[in-house]
Amino acid sequence: MSGARFKVKALSWSPYIEPVDVATANEEQLAAMQVTPSNTKVSPYVRTLAHDPESYVARTKLFNAIMYAKGGLDRAERELGALVASAVNRCVYCASVHARRYVELSGRDEVVEEIYVRGLDGSFDDKTKAIIDFCKTLSETPSHVTKEQVQKLRDHGMSKAEIVDLVHSAAIFGWANRLMHTLGHSVPVDTK
Amino acid sequence: MDQIDHLSGIAPDTELYRIRRERPDFVDGTELCRQTVLTPAHGFDLDHALRAALAVRMARFIGREDLARTYDGMLANAGATPLFSGIAAGSEPGVEADGFLRAILRHADLVTKTPRNNTRADIEALEAAGLSNPQIIALSELIAFVNYEARVIAGLEILGEVE
Repeated sequence: MSGARFKVKALSWSPYIEPVDVATANEEQLAAMQVTPSNTKVSPYVRTLAHDPESYVARTKLFNAIMYAKGGLDRAERELGALVASAVNRCVYCASVHARRYVELSGRDEVVEEIYVRGLDGSFDDKTKAIIDFCKTLSETPSHVTKEQVQKLRDHGMSKAEIVDLVHSAAIFGWANRLMHTLGHSVPVDTK
Repeated sequence: MDQIDHLSGIAPDTELYRIRRERPDFVDGTELCRQTVLTPAHGFDLDHALRAALAVRMARFIGREDLARTYDGMLANAGATPLFSGIAAGSEPGVEADGFLRAILRHADLVTKTPRNNTRADIEALEAAGLSNPQIIALSELIAFVNYEARVIAGLEILGEVE
């Protein structure tokens, strides 16, 4: 049966603008990219955003806190929030990364398959549906989120602290998608 | 209390206020990010008044009038000109707006409202209008931050209305 499991392809990302060249980068950019003599390989994504090192450094720290901080919302569900935002914003690259992480953490490839095949209005178990609906509305039109949507999350046993984490994971992808999807595009991974 | 608490209706003696403080990296991190996009040390000639005016405009388009008013205060402090006030009000750019500014407005509007429709041509339009690569990135981060912030506020506010 394992051959039938739904898989999201790994993708790479290519910028529309010329990224910072490590060889000619200034000190602040090098520090932001964490370039050291033993670490000179920096992804195109990091090099693109290193054009503005100040915002890059601050956002990366916030992003890591929101996605990886200990305790609170299950990491898989943070990845689901990220995936839903990325689906709304059609950020193909972000969606592929976070769909894969969600499956790694939860083992639930059927949820990802449903999102990829039928979309966010597909059929899901009740709790997953409650998370998807809330994150979808928050991503599309924040002012349209409803008490009923939040009440459903509460009814499925989510604490307020967990919902705070969920809000942040969807919101930070309202940010990340607006970088990745507008500044570049996904490309097949170079398998060589 | 910070701007997020104020605009989400979170008072210091509430459960949500305490929950937020259990995530200091979210709270402080968001404020630090705000500084780096609204009042950065190196602004690449996108001055603080322009950034504030764009933030007002975007907050308004997202439907957060309260957030827009807050950035209006920042704009007033940074020095509002009729041109920047027009940007903040969400008007179409007038004759006094040059190609550089028009391109910035067009991009901020698009990425706020319909990021899914953005393509390479939209970045090329910024380059054609004379934006440097650092300016393109700084603008992108500012746009994305305000969109993030509005979603955090909307989410926390509605959570505060539920038991």
